[in-house]
Order: sequence, then C-alpha cells, then structure tokens
Amino acid sequence: MKTTKFYLLAAGLAALFASCSKSSEKTTIITPTVPASNPIAPGNISGFVKGTLTTGNTYTITADLTVKAGDTLASQQGVTVIVSNNAQINIQGVLLLVGTQTQPVSFNSSSNMPGSWGGFQCDSAQSVTIKWAHVDNTGGPDPSGSPRKTVFVAAPINVDIEDSWFTNGQDDLIRLQKGAHVTILRNTILCSGSTDGEAINLKSGVTGDVAYNVVYSQAGTGVKLETNALQPFPQTIVNVYNNTLVSNGWRRGQAEPGRGVSVGVNAIGNIYNNIIVDNYQGIEIFADADTTNTKYGYNLFYASQDTYTDTTQGASLSISIRGNFYPSDGVGKPQSTDLISNAVGNQDPKFKSFDGKVATPNGAVTSNDFHLLSGSPAIGKGNSQYNSDMGAYTSDGKGNKH
Amino acid sequence: MRISLSIIVTLFCGGLCFSQTGSIQGKVTNARSGEVLPGAFVMIAGSSNVNYKVSTDPSGLYIFPQLPLGDYSLTVEFVGYASVTRKIRLKDKEMLKVNIGMEEKSQELESVSVFGKISQEEDQGARQKEKRANNLVNVISARAMERSPDINAANVLQRMSGLTIDRNGGGDEAYAIIRGLDPRYNNTLINGIKIASPDEKSRYVPLSIVPSDLLGSIEVHKSLLPEMEGDAIGGTVNMVMKDAPEKKIIRVLGSIGYNKIFFDRKFDHFSTADIRQKSLIESYGPAYTATPGDFSRSNLDFKLTTPIPNGIVGITLGQRFLNNKLGVMVAENFQNQYYGSNSVFNQAAPDIHKNQPGLSDYANRQFSTQQLNNGIVLHLDYNFNSRNKIVFTNVFLYSYLAQSRIIVDTAIIGGNGGRTVPGTGPVTTDYTSVTSHQYVQNAKLEGKHILSEHFLFDWTGVFSYAAKRTPDQADLALNKKIDTVHTTSDINGPYRFVTTPNYFDVIDRIWQHNEDKDYDALANLTYKARFSRHAILEIKAGGLYRHKVRFNKQDTYNLLPSTSSSGIKQIFYNINSAQWTVYNSHGTYDYDKNNYRLFEDVTAEFGQIKISFPSLDIFGGVRQEHTSQGFTLNTFYPTGINGLTKDYSDLLPSAMIKYKLSDKTNLRASYFKSISRPNYYELVPAPIVSVSNATTTNGNPNLVHSVADNFDLRYEYFPREEEQLLAGVFYKSIQNPIEYAYISGTTYQPQNFGTATVYGLELAFTRYFGKIGVTGNYTYLNSSISSNKSYTDYSYNPPRPVPDTLQKRPMQGQTDHTLNVSLLYRDEKKAMYAQLAFQYIGRSLALVYPLYGYDYYQQPQSLLAFSAEKGLPNRHFTVFTKFNNLLNTASQNKINSLLVVSEITKFNFSVGIRYSN
Repeated sequence: MKTTKFYLLAAGLAALFASCSKSSEKTTIITPTVPASNPIAPGNISGFVKGTLTTGNTYTITADLTVKAGDTLASQQGVTVIVSNNAQINIQGVLLLVGTQTQPVSFNSSSNMPGSWGGFQCDSAQSVTIKWAHVDNTGGPDPSGSPRKTVFVAAPINVDIEDSWFTNGQDDLIRLQKGAHVTILRNTILCSGSTDGEAINLKSGVTGDVAYNVVYSQAGTGVKLETNALQPFPQTIVNVYNNTLVSNGWRRGQAEPGRGVSVGVNAIGNIYNNIIVDNYQGIEIFADADTTNTKYGYNLFYASQDTYTDTTQGASLSISIRGNFYPSDGVGKPQSTDLISNAVGNQDPKFKSFDGKVATPNGAVTSNDFHLLSGSPAIGKGNSQYNSDMGAYTSDGKGNKH
Repeated sequence: MRISLSIIVTLFCGGLCFSQTGSIQGKVTNARSGEVLPGAFVMIAGSSNVNYKVSTDPSGLYIFPQLPLGDYSLTVEFVGYASVTRKIRLKDKEMLKVNIGMEEKSQELESVSVFGKISQEEDQGARQKEKRANNLVNVISARAMERSPDINAANVLQRMSGLTIDRNGGGDEAYAIIRGLDPRYNNTLINGIKIASPDEKSRYVPLSIVPSDLLGSIEVHKSLLPEMEGDAIGGTVNMVMKDAPEKKIIRVLGSIGYNKIFFDRKFDHFSTADIRQKSLIESYGPAYTATPGDFSRSNLDFKLTTPIPNGIVGITLGQRFLNNKLGVMVAENFQNQYYGSNSVFNQAAPDIHKNQPGLSDYANRQFSTQQLNNGIVLHLDYNFNSRNKIVFTNVFLYSYLAQSRIIVDTAIIGGNGGRTVPGTGPVTTDYTSVTSHQYVQNAKLEGKHILSEHFLFDWTGVFSYAAKRTPDQADLALNKKIDTVHTTSDINGPYRFVTTPNYFDVIDRIWQHNEDKDYDALANLTYKARFSRHAILEIKAGGLYRHKVRFNKQDTYNLLPSTSSSGIKQIFYNINSAQWTVYNSHGTYDYDKNNYRLFEDVTAEFGQIKISFPSLDIFGGVRQEHTSQGFTLNTFYPTGINGLTKDYSDLLPSAMIKYKLSDKTNLRASYFKSISRPNYYELVPAPIVSVSNATTTNGNPNLVHSVADNFDLRYEYFPREEEQLLAGVFYKSIQNPIEYAYISGTTYQPQNFGTATVYGLELAFTRYFGKIGVTGNYTYLNSSISSNKSYTDYSYNPPRPVPDTLQKRPMQGQTDHTLNVSLLYRDEKKAMYAQLAFQYIGRSLALVYPLYGYDYYQQPQSLLAFSAEKGLPNRHFTVFTKFNNLLNTASQNKINSLLVVSEITKFNFSVGIRYSN
C-alpha cells in the first residue's frame, strides 16, 4: 500500500519536473492519504515485530528483532531508530525502509561506536528495499563470534538499496549472494570495515547494477564481484558504473590489498565511468574471473601522491599508488578510453574538496565532497551508454543526490 | 607358552637330582574328532606327596618330567568334557606316553552352566569360538595380538577379515569399517556391552585409544543374534578384556621405539603450561568480559624439538583367592607415542571452462602429535558355588593428545586474487595447537544364577561414562602475498618474486567439552534341555534398558590484531610481540549451536530359540528395539530449530542354520535385520569444521535411521589346531543409508540416500607347514547407491549449471579389494616367533564431489609390517620387536587423476622385553 503511494508520489514529482521544463501547464496529482498498515507504537521494540514505523517517531530496539516470513517491517520517512544491546534485525519477510531526501530514515546504535549493532540480517528475506536511510555503526561480532554484515542477503530476491548512507560500519557493508537481483544506486559508504570487509560484496549468482555510489575509506574493496571457487555457477553478472571510489583497501595490509573494483572467480563485470582515486589497487580483473565476458573502460584513475608509506608496526613499506591502478597480479590492462594520471596534478578529477588522506582508521571523521568542479576531466568523457560523465555526481542529475 | 615354561623349570630342577625317575607325557584330544585340546588341566597324584597340575600346550601336549617311580592317578579335566582318570605305574627311566581322548559331556549341552568358556586369549580358543558360535564371528586372540606388530586395537583390527580402519588425517582417530561399511553401521562393545563414546560427534569409540595388551581377544560379529544389540549392519566389534586366570600370573612388559619421521625432521612442540583448562565463562561466569591478557601465548609459541623415544609399559597381575572362589585380574598399560605426518593437502574446485575439477588451493601440512594412552582393567569374579557367580569388570581408558598443525595454504583461484604464475598467490599460514583429554570409564556388574538344572538367569548392570575435553584449541592465522615484479619494462619479460610481510590475520581460541553417561540394565533367562533323543533345545529371552545423556559445550573467542593509528592491520613478527583485541569478549558459550544436551533411551526385548541336532543347528528369534532420542540446544533461537525428539520401533528378526558337515566343517546360512541410528551431532543443525579434510558439516534434523536386511552364507573348515579356512558371501540391502551430501561451498550434510545394496565375498585361512605358517584373508566388496550430481552446460553463454543428475557410485568408505597375508614363523622349542604382515587396501570413496563423474577416492595402499619375539633361555623373559609401515606408504586421495591429498607418516619401530611368570 505504502509503496504504491510513494511510487505514485515519485511519478507525480517526475511528471511535475518534466512538465515544468516543457510548458507552463500546472498539474497537481492528488494521492489519497493511506493509513499505515499495523502502525507500531513508538518506544521500545524487540522480538517478533511486523508493521510500520511511523513518520517522525523514535524507536529503540532493545534486543534482537525478527520479522517472520510473510510479515513486513516498513518505515515511513523521518523515523529514527536507536539500537541498544548490540541487537540485530533479522528479516525473513519483507524489509521496506523508505525515507525521503528531506526526511531520511535513520538507524544507529545508542553507543555511536563502529561495530555496535548487527544491521539487517536478511539471509532468507522475501524482499529488501532501503531508500534514503542512514545506517551507521553496524557490524561487530554476533553472539557466535562471526563478523556481521550490515545488509546481508543470501536468497534470489530483489534487493533495492538507493540514496542511502552507510557510515562507520564494520566488516562487509552490503553483502548479497545466492542469486539476488540487485539495484544499488546513489549510496554513500564511508569509513567502514575495521581491518577487513568490502563495501559492496556481490557473490554467487548476483545480477544487477551498482551505480552512482561513493565509497570512501573502506577497509577492503569498494565493489567486489565474484562467485565461489567451489561453486562457480551461476555466474555473478553486474554492471558497475559511475561510482566514485576513494582511498579504499588500505587497512587490510599489503598481503590483502583492497581495490576500487575487483572481478574474480568466474564473475562478469561491466566496469565503466568510475573515478578511482588513492585506492590501494585500482581495478583488478583477476585471472580467475570470466575474462572473456568482463568489459571495462572509460574509468578515471588518479593518485593524489606518488607513493604512500605505511609505517605500521615499525615497518616502512613504500607503495606506489599509480603503479597499482591495474595491479600486476591481475589481467586487467589500461584501456584507451581510460583517463590515467601519470603525475600528481595530471587527470586530477577535481573534487569539490578532498583532504588527500590515504589511510584512515575505521570510523574516522571526514568532510570530503566528491562533487566535481567544473573543468574536471571526468565531465563529458564517460561511456554514454551509461552516462556521458564519469563518477557518482554527474551533470545530468541522474547521479548521487547526497 | 606359560605352560611349557613351568614344565621346563621342573625339568631343570629335576636334572639336579640324582634319584630314580621317569616321566609321563602325552596328548589330550577330543576322542571323536581327534582335535587337540589345549588348555586342558592334567593333574597327577601319587605316593610320596606328589601332586602336580599342568595344562596342555597349544598342541594339546603335556609332560610331567622327573617323577619318582610309583603308582599314579592321572586326571584330565576340560570344560565341556567329561573328566578322565587313569591309573598308571611308572617304572625306572621310563618315558611313559599317555594319550587321553576325551568325550564331550552331553550333560553340558543340555543343561545350563555358569562357567566354562575356553580361553579366547589363545589362538585355539579363538578358533573354537569361531567354530562353535551361533553366528558368524571372527576372533583374534591376545596371543596373536602380542605377536603381531600392533600396539592398539585399531592396528589389530585391520588385519582381520573384512575389516579396514578409517583414519582421518594425522592418524589419531581410528574407527572400524566392517565389510566396507562406514563406522556408523557398526557398533563397538567392551565385554559385550555398548560403551559411551568420548567423541564429540559420533557414537563410536576411537579404537586407537585401546591398548592391545589389555585385550583378551577381539571378536567381530558379522551376523547378529536377537540377544545382541540391533544397531549393527556391518557388524559388531567386541573387545573382550583380559579375564582372571586359573592360576597366578604376573606379566610385565616394556618397550621403546621411534618414528622415522623425527629422524628426518623436528617435532613442532608447544608449551602446555599456560593452557586454561576451563573457558573464561566456565571460570568466571557469563558476565565476564575477556581481555587480551586472558589468552596465553606460550601454546602458540612453536619450537623445534627432538622427541624422546616412544615407550610402552604394561603390567598384568592375576590370581585366585579364597579357595579359588575369588578371581582377581588387574592389567595396566601405558603408552606414550610421538608421531607425525607431512602432507600435501590441495583443495579442488570446478574448472570454470570445462566440466572437470582443478585445484583452488595448494597446501602443505605438517602435523606433530604426542599421544599418551593409559588403560586399566580390573576384573573380579566370585563363585559362590557351582550355581551362582558374580563378575565385576571396570575398564578405564585415558587418552591425551597434544598436536601441533602447521598449514601453509596458497590460493590458486579465489582468495583475493589467486595465482598468476607458479610461485605466486596469497599465502595463509595457520598454526594450531590442540590438546585433548579423552576418558572412558565403564563399570559392569553381572551375575549368573542357575535356578534349576535347566534354567539360567543372568543379569547385568552397567554405568558407562565418557568425556572429551579440548581446552583452548588455539589457531593463529597469518597472511602474506607473493607477486611478481617485472625487472624490465617488457610486461612479458623477466620478473622477480616479491613477498609482502606476513600480516597477523586472526587468532581463534576454542574450548570444547562433551560428556556422555550411559546407564544400562540387562536381564536374560535361558532354558536348556534335551528335546528328543537327538535334539537339544535352548530358549532364551531377555531385555535391555539404556538411558543415555550427553552434553556438548563450546566456547569460542576471536582475537583480532590491534591496528596502527591509520587503522592498518599489524605485521606479525612473533607471538610474544603480537598485539590483539578480543573481538567477541563474551565468548560464544551462551549462543553456540554446538552447545546442546541430548538423550537417547533404548528399550529392547528379545526371544530366541535354538534346536541342535547332531549335524544341524537351527536358530531363530526376534528382537524389538524401541528408541526415543532427541536434543535441545542450550540457547533459544526465535526462528530456528531449537531441538527435536524422535521415537521409533524396529522389529528385528534373525534366523540361522548351521549344518555340521563333519566335526571339522560347518556350513552356515543366516538372515538378520538390523538398524543404524544417526550419529548424535548429525541431527543438530550446527556447523562443525573438520580439520582433516577442510570441510564443514551441518547437521540435518530430518535424518531418519537406516534399516538393513542382511543375508550371509559361510563355509568353515577347521582342519587342524589353529588352522582354518573360512569362505563366505553376503548381501545387504540398506534402506535410508546415511551419507554426506554436498550442499554448497565446502559444506556437507548427512542425508538419507534411498536404498543401497552391498554384496561381497570373504575368504580367510591359516595354514602351517612345520615351522612356517601362512595366514591371510581377502575381501571383495561391491556397493551401490545413487546421488545427485551437477554438471555445467557450456553450449550456453554464459554456461548454465545442470543440477540433479543421478550418478551411481559406491558407498562412502567402501573398499573394493582388501588383502592381508602374513607369513608366520614359529619354533616353540627355541621360543622364537616372527611375523611379516602385508596388507593391501583397495581404493575407496572418500568424499563425494559435486560434479558429475568426479569423486574423491582414497587410493590403494600396500603396507608392510614385521614383528618378532624370542624367549630368553631362562624362559621367563621374551624380547620382541615391532616394525610398522616399512614401505613408508603414503595415503593419497585423488579425484580421477587429480592428486588432492598425499600424506606420509613414515615407518616406526619398537623393541621391548616381556616378563612372564
């Protein structure tokens, strides 16, 4: 019911803009005010829950919360959820969080520390939709000692994650596998993963699009595509385009460097129009990927410094960022359509503000703005099949809205 | 041999005396069959206070040397035979030969008795048992074990007909495979009673923790009688502990040995001094928050050492007191062994370009193990009178294991990159130290009471306890990456290798503990009488009740490296400088699915009838077993399975015919129905990670028990003492066999697999040519089962997986050909024995691989062992030596031609000395 309302609203707005730009005729779409199904009273919630978190209210999850198969947990815009006691949300039914640009939904822990609540464990969910939501400080061990992913799906369902913020989580942020069909658009993922964890980790048979996302300072890889070495079919087939991937992959160390984008074990990626800056490694097409069907190009690579010196534990390891745009252990090769920096200042994407920090800890405070200044070489150099600009913030307005 | 020793002593003494003497000697045989009767008592009484008692040697011979001249009365007694007395007059320097033929007491056959078992500790007794048993039995005697190269029950069993031993990597767990059927289809008994298992997963007892010197014999029952527990489809292994002797015995043995592997490399030693025996939560309660300092470092600090020699010490004391009414036997055996393995342990993964597996990982493993086994058997029997007897037996086994595992694994595909050119790839180095303590305690009190001439009542009460504690299994993982760097600008040109530092990845600490308690009560009533002029009737009925409880506990902590100010993972230099944080500071004690309690109650009733004609035994009966079992997880899971209970009853008929073609020949046919219950943990939906084959198994609450119809035909020929020829065929049809099916990743799950059929052929023989003997057995097996496999259809782009294609295959663990041949040398006069034992084990299915046409097969193995002993001139001491794995045989696993596992343990040897009074 609620979905319908929002779709109608979205369609209405789109129509409004469209009409504005074309003529002066003014149309106002009037949608009925549909009451929320099973409104959930504000306050403490836990255990088996279904229904709708209603707009403007604050809820506290005090212990693990479970949505049974067949049930729905929905959230209207402007809901604030505080999670205490390291609880997690288990979804076996439908998760439908729909905030708006002006009134996003917010999930955070009471302690506000990275890894202090369990995120959305949707292993066997029926569908997952997260739009315009803040999801902060997730991860940490579950009671069995295993690291928790922030959004975890292991089922062939539709997963829509759009326009949301994921900040200071631990381990994998978005981990989808077993045939999920994914739409991951316009999200911002910041400073997540302690010493491991990918931002968007898509495995075993996932298909869909990952576009217009910003991933900054992830412990592992920005966008990782693979299947399981022991189960290489069905293949993971994902379009990864117009993402801005900055300063990722440093916290795992040299033995397991993170990448902007990686394609491994029989996965197929279409990797275009991404801006890749100061990652440990840029785009890695591993030899065990489906290298025949993986396509890439029109990506911008930049290093804000020639080398980064890692002084962890007394060692002094000098790492050439530029040398790792297409790392030597992969089979990916520079493409003629790529914009590849050969010196500091050359092919600088010209972010609105970027402090140039390479390795920062999980949960670090950051104020970078990866919008492009005019004159950025990324503008107009994209593969127009996806977008004529590169990066998450494009001049056509389709890009990231944060 | 004990017998001949005493005779020699007498001889020796007699030689010093110069009086007029003579000697009496002879052979004791069955008057009808001519079969010799070893162990018969021969007593001589005469004037001048002469009163001697000896028993016959393995050839049925006895001798009284250097007797004063005069009149004697010679009496021979033997269980089941009418005693014989002869009057003899001995003249000067005479060597009188008195052969005695004994008649079987018909009385013995038609009335009940509380006594009378021929000792199975000698080979002859073992053959007698095989010949006379109502069912199909193979027996190996203590004497045969002593002279074999084997030091524990597992080693011994693999030389028996139709048996192989399932050894998982490292060789520290060993279970019997009978007739090619997985250990799950067999049960293990001590003195006829099921014992609790110390294993955290299964219901069977690791045979490698049972020292063979404690055993009187091992019986392998391949067909079941209604009076036996019905949960054996392959068969029952009954370890019969040493029994109180008729006369005083003192036996002491000691040996030392070494394993060649530690001539070639060092032992990876870790200190156990700082290991916490209890987990933090067990010690401080559930609210405790673990800190980095709570976790010891010394058990992850590996040092190269040279182990001390392996040692075994054993002592057996036995005597009868109170006018022979009270029999006491105590046996203690202590073994301390160091062994190890070097192996290649690769992991297979489907090739993404064609339907065949390739390697995803290449791993080298080096295991170093110390195993200490201690066993104590106490046996007390008290004969109130000839009609009432009680027996108490206590068996206590303790086994300690300290193992270090060093695994270096290079990912070839996956694992963050995989391999580009040979020599490169992400490398994980895993150091594990594990110590475990296993305890088995089994106390049994039984009584036999003759109610009247024809009625025997017997009862048994057993308390059995088993536990395993694995405190602080510590696992340190490091990772590094080896890459190439081009030395020129030519990207196809020369390159050199670069290795990153080794990073500290994670440390896991696991405390595991399980405990089993079994309470058993059994009672039987036997009626035995002459039924007609030629027929004897025996009817037996009885019941069993068993209550079992088990708990399983696990508490796991993960330690993550502390990070630098820029958040980067730590480089690992050594364990003492490594810094960590406790990732899950409250452990997993309250949550882990491996924390569960379970119960199993079995109630059984049976009735059986046997009619014996002179040349035919007909036997039939039925057993009813009711099982009630279940488990409860310690933590409540809002949406998952929290426990289950199961109830099932099985009616198990059994029928046998033994046709006695002659005194030396039997022809047997048998049918019986039997069951196999799932292993305890197999019902619990928790993941268990196996180190030995790097897989995870996940329990399946939907498993049902297996039921089998078993058919056997066997021909038996016992030509002469200790000699035999057994030839048999069998067929089994097993409904709902349980096998491990692949689910995903490296995870397997036990599942039921329709109906399996098994058929086979067995042959066993022993033949002596003077001092040289040959003994051997051969088994051929064939089983078939169907399982779902998948393949990939490459005609599509991208290729499509095609699941659920049925593939016929053998059952897991089933071997096709097994051959044992031993060459025996014996010279009783010189007290010299030697045995060269050869074993061939054919290939067997180790693990099912998900791709159609591909499975893991354990490759054929040929093994050679040697043992020898020599009695010293004083006849009390014997020196012996044992050599195992003389060919340094590797254990290999392949998927078709792809080598996955190759494990080398190398040969070991020992020398020792045995004293016997």
